[in-house]
Amino acid sequence: MENVLARIRQRSTFLLCLILILGFGSIVCRLFYLQLIQGEELSDRAVDQQLSDTSVSAKRGSIYDRNGNTLASSASVWKVILAPAYFENDKQRRYVSKELAEILGLREDDVYELASNSNSYYQTVKRRIESDERDKILAFVDKLSDQYERLTNVIVLEEDFKRYYPYNDFAAAVIGFTGSDGQGLSGLEYEYDSYLTGTPGRIITENNGWGTTMPFEYRQKEDAHDGNSLVLTIDETVQHFLEKYLKQGIIDYKVVEGAVAVCVNVKTGEVLGMAVENSFDLNDPYEIADESAAKEVEKLTGKEKEERTNELLSKQWRNKAISDTYYPGSVFKVITASAVLEENAGSLSSTYNCTGSYIPYEGEQPIGCHNTAGHGTQTFAEALCNSCNPAFMQMGQSLGMQKYWEYFQSFGFNSQTGIDLPGEGTGLFFAEPWGPVDLAIGSFGQGVSVTPIEMVTAVSAVANGGDLVKPYLVKQILDDKGNVVKTYEPTVKRQVISKDTADKMAQIMEKNATEGTAKNGYVAGYRIAGKTGTSEKIGNSRKNAKDYIASYCGFAPADDPQIALLVYFDTPTGEAYYGSQVAAPVFAGIMGEICPYLGIETQYTEEELEYVDTVAGNYLSMTLEEAGQKAMQDGFEPFVCGEGSTVVAQVPQAGSKIPRGGRVVLFTTQNSTSETTTVPDMVGMSVEQVNETAAEFSINVSFSGSVEQEGILSYAQSIDPNQRVSPGTVVTVYFGNNDIDDTVM
Amino acid sequence: MVTNYDLDNFADTNKKADAKGEKKPLMSVPLSRKNRTKKQFRFWSIGEGLDFVFLLAIAGILIIGLIMMFSASYPYAYHRYGNSYYFITRQILFAGIGLAAMFGVSYFDYHHLHFWAPIALGTAWLLMLIVLFLPQGGDPDAPKRWLKIGGFGIQASEVCKFALILFFANWGSIYYKKMHTIKYGVMPALGVLLVTGILLYAEPHYSGIVICLLIVAVMLFLSGLPIKYFIAAGVLVSVIVSLMAVTGKLTYAMSRLDGWGQALEYTTNEMWQTTWQTRNSLYAIGSGGLWGLGFGQSRQKYLYLPEPQNDFVFAIVCEELGLIGALIILALFAFLVYRGIHICKGAKDMFGRLLGVGLMAQIGLQVVLNILVITDWLPNTGISLPFFSYGGSSLIMLLAQMGIVLNISRTANIQKE
Repeated sequence: MENVLARIRQRSTFLLCLILILGFGSIVCRLFYLQLIQGEELSDRAVDQQLSDTSVSAKRGSIYDRNGNTLASSASVWKVILAPAYFENDKQRRYVSKELAEILGLREDDVYELASNSNSYYQTVKRRIESDERDKILAFVDKLSDQYERLTNVIVLEEDFKRYYPYNDFAAAVIGFTGSDGQGLSGLEYEYDSYLTGTPGRIITENNGWGTTMPFEYRQKEDAHDGNSLVLTIDETVQHFLEKYLKQGIIDYKVVEGAVAVCVNVKTGEVLGMAVENSFDLNDPYEIADESAAKEVEKLTGKEKEERTNELLSKQWRNKAISDTYYPGSVFKVITASAVLEENAGSLSSTYNCTGSYIPYEGEQPIGCHNTAGHGTQTFAEALCNSCNPAFMQMGQSLGMQKYWEYFQSFGFNSQTGIDLPGEGTGLFFAEPWGPVDLAIGSFGQGVSVTPIEMVTAVSAVANGGDLVKPYLVKQILDDKGNVVKTYEPTVKRQVISKDTADKMAQIMEKNATEGTAKNGYVAGYRIAGKTGTSEKIGNSRKNAKDYIASYCGFAPADDPQIALLVYFDTPTGEAYYGSQVAAPVFAGIMGEICPYLGIETQYTEEELEYVDTVAGNYLSMTLEEAGQKAMQDGFEPFVCGEGSTVVAQVPQAGSKIPRGGRVVLFTTQNSTSETTTVPDMVGMSVEQVNETAAEFSINVSFSGSVEQEGILSYAQSIDPNQRVSPGTVVTVYFGNNDIDDTVM
Repeated sequence: MVTNYDLDNFADTNKKADAKGEKKPLMSVPLSRKNRTKKQFRFWSIGEGLDFVFLLAIAGILIIGLIMMFSASYPYAYHRYGNSYYFITRQILFAGIGLAAMFGVSYFDYHHLHFWAPIALGTAWLLMLIVLFLPQGGDPDAPKRWLKIGGFGIQASEVCKFALILFFANWGSIYYKKMHTIKYGVMPALGVLLVTGILLYAEPHYSGIVICLLIVAVMLFLSGLPIKYFIAAGVLVSVIVSLMAVTGKLTYAMSRLDGWGQALEYTTNEMWQTTWQTRNSLYAIGSGGLWGLGFGQSRQKYLYLPEPQNDFVFAIVCEELGLIGALIILALFAFLVYRGIHICKGAKDMFGRLLGVGLMAQIGLQVVLNILVITDWLPNTGISLPFFSYGGSSLIMLLAQMGIVLNISRTANIQKE
């Protein structure tokens, strides 16, 4: 009996020890391990599921032109996030997928696939939805949370930003575009990405198992800092004119490989406009802008289509003004001439003989001049105005290869200009050792390749008295409140020629633009200095045809240069392809618009004054007598239509420009305005003939081009012949010289 | 403290009983009916003879348990019932009933339970049988465990656990001399286990089977069953379990075993959902660290850890009170078990010893098993934590059982005087 009871005691004690030591011991060890050793990991994972870390997008900074016009800005859009972890069953998953797909215009299966990642809290369904879709989503979320409480947070909208370019293809190559994450991909958007991006903020909140907030004061917010904005040196108006004239030029001269126009402030290097055509819509950069090419691509399939599309896209995104090199042709003679004057290898009194061709080195083939009859003996200035290749070969020889190469370098042709854009190229010259022909053809700009921006920068150096300045596009960086964060100052890299040489060159170039091969680029009243260039493209794209690049580079006014402009057409395929035929009129057209806009003072010669346009005044509501007097005071010839005594209408309208001495038609009765006249054909006439014809048809004529030139003929008119217009309507008649300037080899 | 000073007297009584060939429980009622009644009257003064240390330990654990259960359950209660106090008001009510039952039972001479032992087991079996035919909240696949009476549920297996302890305490105290034989030591146990096992398997309630098995093993061990049978039983159980596993009859249990020990690893979506509760339990425990997030500061109870008021309440305790708090509570439990066993192994008769130690062992086992489950060392099966987990039937049963232990302490102490 005692044994039995003692055994119970023993076994009870044993059992107690077993439970306490083995049982409790093991759970204590387990808790110790979980809470102290593995605790941090588990805690992290717990926090991970409890905290929701929402990033708050920073608004990307805007891009403004120098006058504050918005060229690029960002606006709110939303990103639709699905948190499939909240789904309780497949029915809910199906339902939400179906509804979402319907609202967002997606395929239901695709959404369902996202919804099937059942332990995920973050599946991006669609990005950049705008407010109408957002409203629909919000309504659906409301409905959903009424139906299934568990699904309150299954759909989340995150604010995001979308980039808008209000002017579509305006300055596309310069501004650039952004990718799907708002990151800059090209142009200034890429170059200044770090400034524009800003710092995204984040909100950390603690959520319960169903995704709603917990009653804890746990909410951390880091504000997003919006990106900085850029103020460009680009002037919207200048850019507009560049693009307008380039577009027209491309049509007129059947240009197939695009065109470039760059306008810089010669003293500071500020780029006032940089137009690159063909362009593309920044709001839709992945669409092929060239319609015929796009149609062609549509016909292709598979890999071929993809490759062709990529090829076309990279071509349309390419900034020709800074990335592509070309043979500057005769424009480069400005550089050669400057170097010769600076090195005293020749002077204004030097003479050069041209017999129509020149053998630069004994035993070599002769290299011809565009004037096969030869220019005869020319002075230094005449050689440039004639754009005489033999003369420049002689200049190059007098300069010597070494000096030529030094100036090539110092004008910055073998290095990047440092403009604040990505993908800048550099010019090239033949590799050493140089042969004598290299120097000979290099002297007149063949065999040297340069980028447009290098060329215009080099010409700016000639214009501004010899300083090579760094071109730049961003003037200021502003913070999100508009305070100036950074201002970019002009940078002078080095002086490449003396002021004296520069002045001489400016005079010669002005002479060239008024009398020489560059006269088609002349604009009355503005002392334009310029040089044309036509170069042959090597490795042309078209079969059985020679491809040319027609360019014109000049500056104004010649006595105190302020702006330089380079216009360059790649492969004009019309009848005209010379720089003087193609680039010069466009140059003149642009200069004629931007010089007045920029407030460059006019300096007319006596002759020019005759053709100067005058602004018509407002003669409405005046008595016939008053109006007539005022019109005469303004320098017009009044012309009355109708029987009334007060002026009810006038042609041209107040503010229109017509040449001094032109007709102002004053209508005194309303029905008299219905009188019309026919526009005559005035192409191919001299200035005098045009004037006579205009008088005959009671229309006004505005002259464009260097009309004071002897023997100059009109080649176009702004209103087509035989159109019916009101009497007094202004028709612009374009005058140009059909002389060719030069070509090479 | 407690001495079995009159063992000789009991021995004499039993010798006489043996001589007559009567089945008399060892040491049962040595006094005359008249004397016994007199002594019983002395019990009606509150607290007399009770082991106050043990009572304090129960009170301490119960209060901490209620507070922590409240803290763990209020977000879920609010979410589920729109009332943060849903669980705690009920649990307090259960605790009140339980305490009343405890004091009531503590006056009830446990020797009367001799008579009730077989009846209790029979009742338990009957309840478990009835449960099988009752609808369980409309879901035909839900385990059939609950007996709903007037809004409150009773888990049939809770009754069964107590009935088994009682039955084998009774059995052991009657056949203490024959416990080494197969006929008296092994066969009845196997029979009872078979019936219980079948009923629990039908529910199904596998953790109940495991607990019942352990309880019977403990009771047999205390009753003096030779060690060799335990070894043999261990081998047998392994064979049976493997056989069931092979024949695929363990599907439900296996579905719960699935993902055991890999709650933190992602394998499939389905598995991730299956291990959700265990994983979030581990997150909660780990988040607690040494000192815990502070009382009421659990994050995991906010709908991450499903049903935090039930089996997994201790995970929230660990999160809020840290390792320190958890160890203090475990120490309290250990002390309770120690104190209870210490009281009961000094009971004046074999029945009291077997019954009391069995009841305390059951509490100890449940604590250990529960925490092993929430720490992912055992598969997630549904073993509640005594005094902490929400549940009326379990709490009331538990406190009533503590009443028996108190009664044993009372008897032992009174006899000592």
